[in-house]
Amino acid sequence: MKKLLMATVAAAAMFSAVPSMAIERGGSLTFARYDDSTLIDPIYADRNPDIWMVTNLYDTLLRTEADGKTVTSGLAESYDVAEDGQSVTLTLRDGIMFSDGTPIEGKDVVFSLTRASDADLSPWAGLLSSIEEVSADGNQITITLNQPDPTIVLMLATFNTAIVSADAFEAASGETDQEKAQSIAIDGFVGSGPFMMKSHQRGTLMQFGANPHYWREGEDGQPLPYMDGINFLVIPDDATRILKLQAGEVDAAEFIPFARVGELEADPNINMELFPSTRIIYSPINTRETRADGSANPLADVKLRQALNYATNKDALVQLVLQGAGKPVSSGLMASTTQLATDNGPIYQYDLDKAKALIAEAGVPDGTELTLTILAGSADDAIILSALQQMWSQIGIDLNVEQVDGPTRGAKNRSGEFDIHTYGWVNDVNDPAQVAGWLGYYPTAKAVGTGWNNEEFNSLYEASNVEMDPAKRAEQYARMQAIYNEAAPLLFMYETPFAVALSADVQGYVQTPLGNNEFASTWIER
Amino acid sequence: MVKKLLFRLPRKSQLVALQRPSFLLGLFILLSSISLALFPDLFAPYDPNVFDYTAIKQPPSALHWFGTDNLGRDTFSRVIWAYSVNMQMALFATIFCLAIGIFVGALVGYYGGVADMIFGRCVDAIITFPFLVLVIAVVAVLGPGLTNMYIAITLVGWVYYARLMRAEIMGQMANDYAAAGKVMGYSDRRIIFRHLMPNAITPVIVYWMTDMALAILLGSSLGYLGLGAQPPQAEWGVLIAEGRNFITTAWWLSLMPGIAIVLTGLGFSLVGDGITDLMRPRG
Amino acid sequence: MSTISYFLSRLLQIIPTFLIVMVIIFLLVRALPGDPAIAMADAKATAEQLEQIRQRLGLDQPLWVQFGIFVKNVFTGNLGDSILLKAPVTQVIIERLPASGFLTLYAVLFSLLIAGPLAFVAALNRNSWVDTSIRSIFQVGLSTPVFYIGLLLLTFLAARMRWFPVGGYGTTFLEHMYHLLLPALTVALYTSAIIMRNLRSSVIEVVDAEYVQFARAKGLPERIVLGRHVLRNALISTVTLLGLSIGNLMSGTLVTETVFAVPGVGRLMLDAIFARDYPLIQGLTLTFAVLVSIIFLLTDMIQAWLDPRLRVA
Repeated sequence: MKKLLMATVAAAAMFSAVPSMAIERGGSLTFARYDDSTLIDPIYADRNPDIWMVTNLYDTLLRTEADGKTVTSGLAESYDVAEDGQSVTLTLRDGIMFSDGTPIEGKDVVFSLTRASDADLSPWAGLLSSIEEVSADGNQITITLNQPDPTIVLMLATFNTAIVSADAFEAASGETDQEKAQSIAIDGFVGSGPFMMKSHQRGTLMQFGANPHYWREGEDGQPLPYMDGINFLVIPDDATRILKLQAGEVDAAEFIPFARVGELEADPNINMELFPSTRIIYSPINTRETRADGSANPLADVKLRQALNYATNKDALVQLVLQGAGKPVSSGLMASTTQLATDNGPIYQYDLDKAKALIAEAGVPDGTELTLTILAGSADDAIILSALQQMWSQIGIDLNVEQVDGPTRGAKNRSGEFDIHTYGWVNDVNDPAQVAGWLGYYPTAKAVGTGWNNEEFNSLYEASNVEMDPAKRAEQYARMQAIYNEAAPLLFMYETPFAVALSADVQGYVQTPLGNNEFASTWIER
Repeated sequence: MVKKLLFRLPRKSQLVALQRPSFLLGLFILLSSISLALFPDLFAPYDPNVFDYTAIKQPPSALHWFGTDNLGRDTFSRVIWAYSVNMQMALFATIFCLAIGIFVGALVGYYGGVADMIFGRCVDAIITFPFLVLVIAVVAVLGPGLTNMYIAITLVGWVYYARLMRAEIMGQMANDYAAAGKVMGYSDRRIIFRHLMPNAITPVIVYWMTDMALAILLGSSLGYLGLGAQPPQAEWGVLIAEGRNFITTAWWLSLMPGIAIVLTGLGFSLVGDGITDLMRPRG
Repeated sequence: MSTISYFLSRLLQIIPTFLIVMVIIFLLVRALPGDPAIAMADAKATAEQLEQIRQRLGLDQPLWVQFGIFVKNVFTGNLGDSILLKAPVTQVIIERLPASGFLTLYAVLFSLLIAGPLAFVAALNRNSWVDTSIRSIFQVGLSTPVFYIGLLLLTFLAARMRWFPVGGYGTTFLEHMYHLLLPALTVALYTSAIIMRNLRSSVIEVVDAEYVQFARAKGLPERIVLGRHVLRNALISTVTLLGLSIGNLMSGTLVTETVFAVPGVGRLMLDAIFARDYPLIQGLTLTFAVLVSIIFLLTDMIQAWLDPRLRVA
């Protein structure tokens, strides 16, 4: 009896291992990044190093829990979507303040959301196109919509709707809104997030200090954040970043190459974290009837595209490129961590016989030449190339290579001057509409440049964007994924986690599936 | 001040330069490198590009002399296969510079005038850029890769040959026989190619020898930076860059290709020094 | 010719050279393949956003108009905004210059400290085993690529022995000295090999020269002979060589900054190349060219000052 009790206690202690440890406050973290931020502003952040930092400096009205899917309260303590789906009302918390000690009020919310949905200012305004008007009455915020929008609640928990100070923008120097945002980012920073910008030496060092007026409480009942500050060092080279961590010069290093995960996992001084992400790696296939040079394109035949997918051993790719730290995609249209992703297990499981049968049906002659466009200097792409060359030679495909830099690859994607090229994606928003629009909806970006244009898919996508019934919307998404997988406009590959290596005394750091770096609950054990 | 360099058969005393141990060592290294470059398949025990999961990051052993990399490829075989790429660099990154440089240098040196003035300004402008900066800027225009790297180096590098050639031609023209050729009514072409060039070309060839060693260094640096040869092709700079990630756990990946660069570079410069001594006029 | 008019004529020579430099840079950058607007925009940007960027950059103007704008901008110091860093190119370059300048001067200092004494020792013990071994070591140094030396120093002295930080720059002067010691040594090992070679032969030449033999014959102490005659001439040839090899030195710095994660203009150049950040590539190539011209000019002037005979030439 006593034994059993002990075991239960031990189990309970194990499950609550983190909360049971006394949290220690103070100290600052040195974090080695792969790239620097340029302008961390909710609406001007357009590159990952900017986007992923926004919520440390600016809080959103609503927040998502660690899984990235469940919506919970933020600066607003509650929200309510009208039955007709035409408006959303929110109630702001009492006594919340910006980092300069001024109160966060309705006018700041109106200013921030109006700014965020202004297509002339924000590259993300399209995600908020349903917003007709935002008004405030005391603590009550009303967002009027021009049509029902199933994504609006998640959008209010997304970086681009984070709250900035209307007064600070009023007072900031500069002509345009962007200039004002820049001057706020450099001097006279005012934000609503757990940290504030202290200094920034472009390309080398960025320093955050704790926001003394932040509202959210930690486990010890005191306001967050636990740490006094964060120093971000920019070290683009993977090997150097890791060396610095191993030498104890930094406390954490992000974007660890997967080839090194095993070695760091074995190091007792290092806590190697693999955070689930919405990142997918895939290769768009040109599905147009003719290539850009006018020659006939064998890849227009869905059977050849399917054959290539079956002939690709994704498990082997995961082993080769990620050393096992990843998994083959289970939905062709999105990462499995995205809302509404269907999971039927890995799609297009390696099946050489099926691939051979399909290629025979398609009537593709032996020795057909295809070109894979890869990123110059990328070790991962070089491995993918070698592996695909070996795998596809089995079905009589002669794979040539073309190596280009990032911008050139982007240009080729837009102009359709490619057969197949490597690519990747991370969701910026947790609603699947963004990724589905990018990968499959023709009007957005020609279905990620593949030229694949399926009427049923397009109309389902349009319908799903105004469908307020979650069950019906899920059905639409299930159908879209089925169509997409069948048509195989991509070479479906794999999903990867975010690999961050931390010194063993760093606790509570999280990188969300969207990539956001969350430092508010991070603390350092001493 | 004009150096007077006359081409003549080496004297016996100069041939001694060829018997120096340093020259012989250089020659040995160079000849070995050339054989490795020409017949890598004879010397490499494994296919340089095939993955082997049963042998990942193995330290040097009797089976794998230089160990294996993170994909189980044999480092020794990759270093050997890289000989053909890197030795090719020594040739292709310099030969076109040499050809264009000799031609342009001879013409502007002989005719002088406006062409020479324009040439002078262009040379001034081009040497105003650090060599590597201009080369990588041109690589940026053309895109990374070996062929583009050769084009970039040629576009910038010919100037140095042309400058040298021009100075030598002008030096030769100060000699009587050039004037004599004109008096005798020989065509310009004959004077340039039959009379002036054979004498003027010697120092250019000597410079070419040292430049080949530099080309290997430059080519591997660009490979290392991701602007030259591209993975999975085995090239020393690329191999060192690939091994960089494992330098604390698998040192052999970066160390071995580096030794190959140093050795080959040494071979070139030792032979180059020997030849320089041989051709340098005494007195 | 007086010193001043020599300097003036030397300054005037720069003008046509610089015009060609600007043409080269302008054409180079315009020849960059791909649409700069696409390079500037995020992959997710729409066609309209791309069009806006094109207009803002003046890419819809004819080429000669663009060149005119470029020349005007160069002289007003307005080189546009960096795509990568979203800040004025001039400002970004000014922020990054100190680290590179520090590294370059540090490397020059090391080169002189290494090459100077060894060259004298080698020259004065000509053809002895000392001479041979010094020359052999430098011969190997000359055959080793800069990035490889850097990588070895970084791995063994910084990562393994932990005597030095693994790259970076630090914030105070002393930290700069400490962080940049290995990078400076890396650049210097190559440069000192070149200086050593030259200095050795120049010392030998002077030692053999008649006037030095004469000074010796007069019974002047060896120390004074060396100090007065040999050093002065060695100095002139070293200044010249350093000036001429400034391009090499900068190339070495560029590679070293990449290996050691030093936030200087060299690493910035590579970042700019990979990101196709064409305003930044343009600004940086121009900066390198200006710096080299200034160094060439200074070299000529120092040379003329040290050796008045040269002013006539």
